[in-house]
Amino acid sequence: MLVSKNRATNSLLKSEKKSLFRFLTLYVAMVLFSITLLSLFYYQSQEKLMLSDQRAMLTKYAYIQTKRLKVLHHFFDERIDYPRDSRFKSAIYDMENIKIFSLLDDENIRFHKEIYITNTHIHLVKTLDEFYLGTKYLIIEVEDSGAWRGEIWKNIIGYGSIAFLFFMLFGLYLAKLFLKPMRDSLLLLDRFIKDTTHELNTPLSAILANIEMMDTDVMVEKNKTKLNRINIAAKTVSVLYKDLTYLTLEQEKTNHDEVIDIRELVYDRAEYFSILAQSKHLECKLDLEESTITIDRRKFTRVIDNLISNAIKYNKRHGTVGIELKQGMLVIWDTGIGLNEESIPFVFDRYIRFNNAEGGFGVGLSIVKKIVDEYHMSIEVESKEGEGTRMVLRW
Amino acid sequence: MKPILVAVLLISGLSTHLSSADAYERHCVECHKELPTSLQRMFMRYLLVYGGEENVKAGLKHYLKYPIKEISVMSDLFTDNYGIKKKTTLSDRQIDEALERYWERFKVLDKLK
Repeated sequence: MLVSKNRATNSLLKSEKKSLFRFLTLYVAMVLFSITLLSLFYYQSQEKLMLSDQRAMLTKYAYIQTKRLKVLHHFFDERIDYPRDSRFKSAIYDMENIKIFSLLDDENIRFHKEIYITNTHIHLVKTLDEFYLGTKYLIIEVEDSGAWRGEIWKNIIGYGSIAFLFFMLFGLYLAKLFLKPMRDSLLLLDRFIKDTTHELNTPLSAILANIEMMDTDVMVEKNKTKLNRINIAAKTVSVLYKDLTYLTLEQEKTNHDEVIDIRELVYDRAEYFSILAQSKHLECKLDLEESTITIDRRKFTRVIDNLISNAIKYNKRHGTVGIELKQGMLVIWDTGIGLNEESIPFVFDRYIRFNNAEGGFGVGLSIVKKIVDEYHMSIEVESKEGEGTRMVLRW
Repeated sequence: MKPILVAVLLISGLSTHLSSADAYERHCVECHKELPTSLQRMFMRYLLVYGGEENVKAGLKHYLKYPIKEISVMSDLFTDNYGIKKKTTLSDRQIDEALERYWERFKVLDKLK
């Protein structure tokens, strides 16, 4: 029987989210790093391209200036006016990098480079073969308008954003592929549960109805005990059945919200589970104040049933189960095996079970969380391993 | 005591200055007077070949001590006509002082406008 993906399957588990988050963080970091690296290479290549364009012009200026220096050298010191040109500025340095004369705006000179950009200028360093006026380095300076930089940034931001978007979409596709095996196994389990629960209803109803109808007054004590055991087992299966039915069939149904007397409902459900509690010799402490809530009865019953049945299931023999009801708050606590700190964040995940000693599929608390979220209520888990668990429901 | 010390220092400083001036004037200017190329032009030739201050001074000092045609900065025409100078008899200290004076007198630095 084919089952379409339901809401429960579509929502991500915490562990799935964690894996997805880790993968995406790593992926985004790698994409950003690659784009930054590519942008850097692009910037450098464009800068080189611009400088090679400028080099031809600056070399021509350097040639002109060298000729002028040559003339000045031969007429020194009758002539002492340094040659000037409106197209560029220049400076001359000797081989010990000592300034002979300079008209530069930016005196930050890198003698080991041929051409480079300072903050607002471009410098060409020309090494002379003949040291006119003692000049080893002739520096030619022109202003850098920075227009080429704006064009490069525009390209980097534009193409970078497109590339980032493309890689993000690709990343999401990868993430889906990455999570597919996990999802498939969940879907398979869902399908199996849905198929099997359907077949459980009739025999389970028959067992429970017949237990109720049996006349225990005429029974011998030995048979009464046996019947009790059958009753407990049937009720345990019944809770499980209801959870599975809810999960696979009923949660899609429309809500029929009504005002519910919580005290009455909690008392009823406690009564229903009393036979399970007795089997473990548990003490039940009820402290129920008057309280109401507007909610779908079927859903709220699932919440209470699961919290009470867990408190009984994971309790120690001769332990205690407590239910406290106050205005806006329901607390169900036990003195059971408890949970370790690392397990608490995953307690509401579907198919997650921390104790295999007791039966179940690990769906109960995920149902509770779904209903609690749907009605904008909150649930807190306080637990200590070996001491017990406290589930606090607030609305 | 102090004025005497200052006077002694002043005199010794002045005498050093005068002696380096003397070394240059007596041993360089005197001989070059008779040559057609001025000391200024020769300086520019050295500057053209050697570049910086240290190099010029080192090149000049070497040529003064070991003068040969091959390392002269002057043209062949000049050396053929006037020959190569004689090997200097000055001490290293005297050469350095004279060169220092020569450099200061003709250097390009601070003269361009």
